[in-house]
Amino acid sequence: MVLEATMICIDNSEWMRNGDYSPSRLRAQADAVSLICGAKTQSNPENTVGILTMGGKGVRVLTTPTTDLGKILACMHELDIGGEMNIAAGIQVAQLALKHRQNKNQRQRIIVFAGSPVKYDRKVMEMIGKKLKKNSVAIDIVNFGEDDDGKPEKLEALLAAVNNNDSSHLVHVPTGPNALSDVLISSPVFTADGEGGSGFAAAAAAAAAGGVSDFDFGVDPNIDPELALALRVSMEEERARQEAAAKRAADEASRQGKEEEPLSNSQDATMTDNTNNTAAETTEKTADPMDEEKSLLERAFAMSMGTSVSDTSMADADTSKATDEDKELALALQMSMQDDTKDPSNQSDMSKVLGDQSFVSSILTSLPGVDPNDPSVKDLIASLQGQPESSEQKKKEDEPPKDDK
Amino acid sequence: GYREDEGLYLESDADEQLLIYLPFTQVVKLHSIVVKGPEEEGPKTVKLFSNREHMGFSNVNDFPPSDTAVLTPDNLKGKPVVLKFVKFQNVRSLTIFIEDNQSDSEVTKVNKIALFGTTVETTDMKGLKKIEDNH
Repeated sequence: MVLEATMICIDNSEWMRNGDYSPSRLRAQADAVSLICGAKTQSNPENTVGILTMGGKGVRVLTTPTTDLGKILACMHELDIGGEMNIAAGIQVAQLALKHRQNKNQRQRIIVFAGSPVKYDRKVMEMIGKKLKKNSVAIDIVNFGEDDDGKPEKLEALLAAVNNNDSSHLVHVPTGPNALSDVLISSPVFTADGEGGSGFAAAAAAAAAGGVSDFDFGVDPNIDPELALALRVSMEEERARQEAAAKRAADEASRQGKEEEPLSNSQDATMTDNTNNTAAETTEKTADPMDEEKSLLERAFAMSMGTSVSDTSMADADTSKATDEDKELALALQMSMQDDTKDPSNQSDMSKVLGDQSFVSSILTSLPGVDPNDPSVKDLIASLQGQPESSEQKKKEDEPPKDDK
Repeated sequence: GYREDEGLYLESDADEQLLIYLPFTQVVKLHSIVVKGPEEEGPKTVKLFSNREHMGFSNVNDFPPSDTAVLTPDNLKGKPVVLKFVKFQNVRSLTIFIEDNQSDSEVTKVNKIALFGTTVETTDMKGLKKIEDNH
């Protein structure tokens, strides 16, 4: 959540017509810039970002540092290609723009997209670096596109001169199938933003790459350890339940497949691909990553409210009715519903205890003063998790929760 | 204690200049200053700016300093430099800009900075008492 003013230096020289980064080097830069602006603003709303171009007739500042994303995106549309990149002048103008920022409490950062060859020599780059360091400006250099004339060495010399406590970074983006933005998302340019930025980056990566993110379930354990833990616990229990459900899949599918809501069945399918394939509804819902995450979240809600696992359809209705604050009300609702419905599953007793245990574990983690990272708490939760797996195999009553308390 | 330890010093980083910002918790008047440092790399030209926040190396030459001192080896041993008192009557913050050092080396080292002066009479918040309403 570091308060920062950033100037982004875009290379819009003739070298950027090349299509080795799709659709063209310039558009790849524009996409990356939009992502960076979003990440900066999200990690701290007071962060400002400005844009300047280094090519063309000369260095031109498109926007001075501003919090207004719309203005920045509007500028990105008006980019045109021409001329040659002047990296030294670009960095110096960026430094000047940062010097005149409105909020002097903001740190200063420059992000340079170095796509064309660098015509200055090492000495000049080092001098620039020293000046930046003296004025405590950090710099992120994105090395892509042309790669000759000792360009990497010059950029590394610049980085070495500026670098102060690893606040500056140099990222090499080779040509290839991965888009410029994707490579940048996993680089220190984004992840050095801090937790807010990395959450954004993880979400963006999930959207872009189809569910691949640095953290499980796209939730950063540092932002929200309880949610991450609840999701993990519910995932484990769901796996255990799926193994049991697979056994009775054959007789249940034809009878239950039509009665239970299609939604819950397809949610099961997204969790484990190779079970319940006899149910007609499971094939309809595609394994959309967003739905996967949604289903996981709903599952976590359901578990935390102590739902019986075979009543996921009821749980879905309940989560819409009851908010987190009304856990007792929801529990009472579900208890009464459980009494009403005839439960075809022969594991109903077990499921209730399962529900109770997940409820207990979620209660434990949400207690004030209970640190989820405490080893004794972790052991406790692990023992609770171990219960469902042992119980569904042995098919008998689990040890009552009172042992764990 | 640590104050007189010659082994502890402040050293400049990218080049030989140093910029030190000291905000005070109340308004003061400054009389003199002591800057101690090693003979070789100790500071030479020292410029003082009063009541200027957020100075950087880039705008250090934009306005005249409240006072300038050229330090001799005597000063570096602890002899105080008397300042222009009239310029430091109402000081909330002090910026010390060390421009170069005795031997023109790449790195400037400072062992100790001491400021001598008095406080300015201001309202003592502890003495303020709420007037009781007697109804």
